[in-house]
Amino acid sequence: MIDLPPGTELEPRKRTVLREDVKAYADASGDQNPLHQDDAFAREVGFPGVIAHGMFTMGHLASSVAEWLPGAELRSMKAQFRSAVLLGDTIVAGGRVRDVDHDAGTVALELWVTVDREGTLEHPIKRAEVVASLPR
Amino acid sequence: MGRFPKASCVARRLLPSCHVSGASVNAALVGKVYPAVRFSVSPDRVAAFAGAIGAEGDEVPPTFATAPEIEAMRSVIDDPELELDFSRVIHADQLYEWRRPIARGDVLTATPSIESIRSKAGSELLVVATEIVDAAGAPVVSARCTLVVRPERTGA
Repeated sequence: MIDLPPGTELEPRKRTVLREDVKAYADASGDQNPLHQDDAFAREVGFPGVIAHGMFTMGHLASSVAEWLPGAELRSMKAQFRSAVLLGDTIVAGGRVRDVDHDAGTVALELWVTVDREGTLEHPIKRAEVVASLPR
Repeated sequence: MGRFPKASCVARRLLPSCHVSGASVNAALVGKVYPAVRFSVSPDRVAAFAGAIGAEGDEVPPTFATAPEIEAMRSVIDDPELELDFSRVIHADQLYEWRRPIARGDVLTATPSIESIRSKAGSELLVVATEIVDAAGAPVVSARCTLVVRPERTGA
């Protein structure tokens, strides 16, 4: 089993969010809310323009888990969306190991997604909790 | 509208301010179960989804669960009894609990229900739970989606 003492920091994974990414996610997920495609609509409801789906950001986080823990299977994932991701933002997935249960073969992770926007650190996902089973 | 709002303003808009003017969904519908929706996990759809979120490897991305969940939630969002103004809806919170990984070729059935509706700071929180099972009826993933219905903004 992978050696993951609690507190182990996970290497940050970046992704810059482009309009075509958000469109591709809308088509693949089926979430065609105009908030994620139509700038005029997004402005009408108070955003500076189209924002990425929360689940786009959560998907990046889940993909990051697959990179951090190759072969692990997700058992649960919980996230709160706290700040909008705008087109052109670079989202950074990070986190640390919270706990390893050797008997159950699972690891608990505490994760987050940040955006550095003109020197201000935003937290599109301030805290996500993941439990994954580790390959044996 | 003024200049490009600062990021902190955007953040605040996710948690609505106090410009209350009757955001309302029909709280009598708590417990309502919506029609089950069948969803086939096609390799093409999985490939498109994996590409969109930057997932590598052979597994179906776990959050692919969102696709059948959204398909099933359409009947909730469009439910005239619920009186949901989708233009004021923000996705606030998401939980998935997997019983097994989703596989290509799975024929899933997703059944949404309204778990709770409550008010918070002039907004309403609508929690939709969706149970997703396979063709044999065995559980695959439970999803819980919290939507915030923001009050209509007045002024500004």
